[in-house]
Amino acid sequence: MKKAFLLFIFPFLYSFSVQANDALRLATTTSTENTGLLATLIPAFSLETGIKVDIIAVGTGKALELARRGDADIVMVHARQAEDIFVARGFGVNRRDLMENDFILVGPSSDPALIRGQNNSLAALKKIEESQAIFISRGDNSGTHKKELSLWKHADLKPAAHWYKEVGQSMGKALLMANELSAYTLTDRGTWLAYQDKLSLQLLSEGGVSLKNPYGIIAVNPAIHPNIQYRKAMSLIAWLTAPVGQQLIGSFKRDGHQLFYPTAIKDTVLNE
Amino acid sequence: MNDLNQATINAFQLLLSGNSGIWEIISLSFSVSLSAILIASPFALIIAFFLAFFQFPGRRILISVFNTFMSVPAVIIGLALYLLLSRSGPFGDLQLLFTSKAMIIGQILLSFPLLVAMAHASFQAADRRAWETAITLGAKPYRAFFTLAHEVRFGLIAAVVAGFGRVIAEIGCSMMVGGNILHATRNIPTAIALETSKGEFSHGIALGIVLLVLALGLNAGVSMVQGKGGLHS
Amino acid sequence: MSNLISYKDISISLSGRLILSIDQLAIPFRQCTLLTGRNGSGKTTLLKIMSGLLKPDSAHIAYQGLNLSWRQAKPYIQKDIIYLHQQPYLFDSTVFNNIAYGLYRNGENKTSVHKKVNQALEWANLSHLAHQPANSLSGGEKQRVALTRARILSQSLLLLDEPTASMDSESKQQTSLLLQRLNAEGLTIIISSHESHTVSHLIDRHLHLENGRMTEINNASQNNKVTPFKTTKNTLTNE
Repeated sequence: MKKAFLLFIFPFLYSFSVQANDALRLATTTSTENTGLLATLIPAFSLETGIKVDIIAVGTGKALELARRGDADIVMVHARQAEDIFVARGFGVNRRDLMENDFILVGPSSDPALIRGQNNSLAALKKIEESQAIFISRGDNSGTHKKELSLWKHADLKPAAHWYKEVGQSMGKALLMANELSAYTLTDRGTWLAYQDKLSLQLLSEGGVSLKNPYGIIAVNPAIHPNIQYRKAMSLIAWLTAPVGQQLIGSFKRDGHQLFYPTAIKDTVLNE
Repeated sequence: MNDLNQATINAFQLLLSGNSGIWEIISLSFSVSLSAILIASPFALIIAFFLAFFQFPGRRILISVFNTFMSVPAVIIGLALYLLLSRSGPFGDLQLLFTSKAMIIGQILLSFPLLVAMAHASFQAADRRAWETAITLGAKPYRAFFTLAHEVRFGLIAAVVAGFGRVIAEIGCSMMVGGNILHATRNIPTAIALETSKGEFSHGIALGIVLLVLALGLNAGVSMVQGKGGLHS
Repeated sequence: MSNLISYKDISISLSGRLILSIDQLAIPFRQCTLLTGRNGSGKTTLLKIMSGLLKPDSAHIAYQGLNLSWRQAKPYIQKDIIYLHQQPYLFDSTVFNNIAYGLYRNGENKTSVHKKVNQALEWANLSHLAHQPANSLSGGEKQRVALTRARILSQSLLLLDEPTASMDSESKQQTSLLLQRLNAEGLTIIISSHESHTVSHLIDRHLHLENGRMTEINNASQNNKVTPFKTTKNTLTNE
């Protein structure tokens, strides 16, 4: 009886002991995970420092929320405004620019709104609004969603429900839905490159400062959550923003395309 | 802990303030799931009845097929339906993908095996004398079916309630074929998933409360029905 | 033609074992037949085949001037012959609704049903139970409700499977009284039983089942029935 009981609780005890390990918990957006960037960076970091990293890939909103609650030690996201608020409210410390990529507008090859080649994203959105072509919005408070909302706002447009569909799903899913519905959507270039082959959508509009997508990395404030692994978090920040990390980011390619451009070290020529 | 309290208080405020967004999601959830169950139940009950009362070749195989399908995860049903309804799938021309109709179809598929299996168990447990008595008193087989269904009504109601419970709380299939589109296909489970991913826990809890109250209400309803009878009502 | 119905070449086997093999079984109008046999001798099987509830391997039926196979006859005999289980099944509803069941199934209107059911309840002395849930009744009361439910349909043949088994003597008394009245009203009745004494005063004819075969027992002492209504009385082999 006693033996059976021990056998029964053993898995629980075991899982607790695993829980109690001291891996660094990195909350980040799905884009860094889905593109495979982290799968390149993190093992190299772990190898060099001996620090194990658990990656929690969620939307930007949730990633920041996890960090705020002390459920993550460090957060890597792309929503500059939200990041600044996060730091200003004291939840995070030592925010550093890490890298950037850009957003693009994709849509059906028939291009009913005629935005092909348009390099002013605001003008492109205006055309979509005028043609009332279907537009898929992430609608999930993700960095991409926030960027999209700010673009509509800058264009002084208010999208209406019957052609503007908030889907509340990840970027990949939103792309698949746009594909099914022959709709336009705003996507980060990384996810687009990863999904391109499965889609009949086309890249229609790119370029322009307003479509830049900067990523930042922030350590959770140890003054608020004393139990978090602040030192390890700082090690990761240091490593990623040092030349070795930046170089790795810049050389990461998918199907021959560079996806992320390192920004931590402004005046180097790493990109070339 | 404080967070949980605060989120729960906010959740109640959201519900009571008649926040139209949240109530829209709730009503969509109900109309989709009720439609699915109302469409699926009659067919499922008739099939269950045939499985329980008649011998025919393939009967046992059919029973195990339904029992097996009962444990197929919703996402798998969702995936299969997605591929069928996708623009490049065989039924793409119907343009059903990412509509509430697709969600209803998915929930019908999802609830059907459960409805059949539970109703089959009820009919199986029914007294054979009930059927024979109805027939010998001049009931046509279809009338005798209704009589028998009345005799085992509690089991059948439990089956329908369980079926409804499965689909109203189901997320995999709804997310897959509905697409969680605001004002169109966002129901309670997909909204909970979304709000949680956004870190909006109050919304998630508010919708969770609705599901909880629903479960309570259904259970209370079932036990109330069990107090009443009436053959010809 | 003095037979209500007659059956020919009834046979049925279950998993290779012959249960019944009966060449000829004729049921004369208005007679009350006792069917005896040990448990498992096939009494219930026979009654269910006769009433169209159980499919035999073979059987031919002469009914209302037609010679039919069992399958052809099934819709008629299911409707016209009433089979009562050893423990009658009452639907999960009131006594009133149970008795009204067959009438509603015949498509009668509500007023006529109410009138007939109330009359029938009076006839059976069950009026006080009309609105009781049927499941709350005692075994004897259930049997009387089932008999009333059968009578109200004015069918001509009633098959009773061990109607008095496991009843106390008072219930047996009341049941056999009801059966006597039903028979007197002109109903043809077949009663299966492993004990004959409770109903012996009703019996016109005694059939016995053994090893799936039927024999007629011509026992003068059992044939002591006195009923003024009987016009045809033929306790010997019919036809």
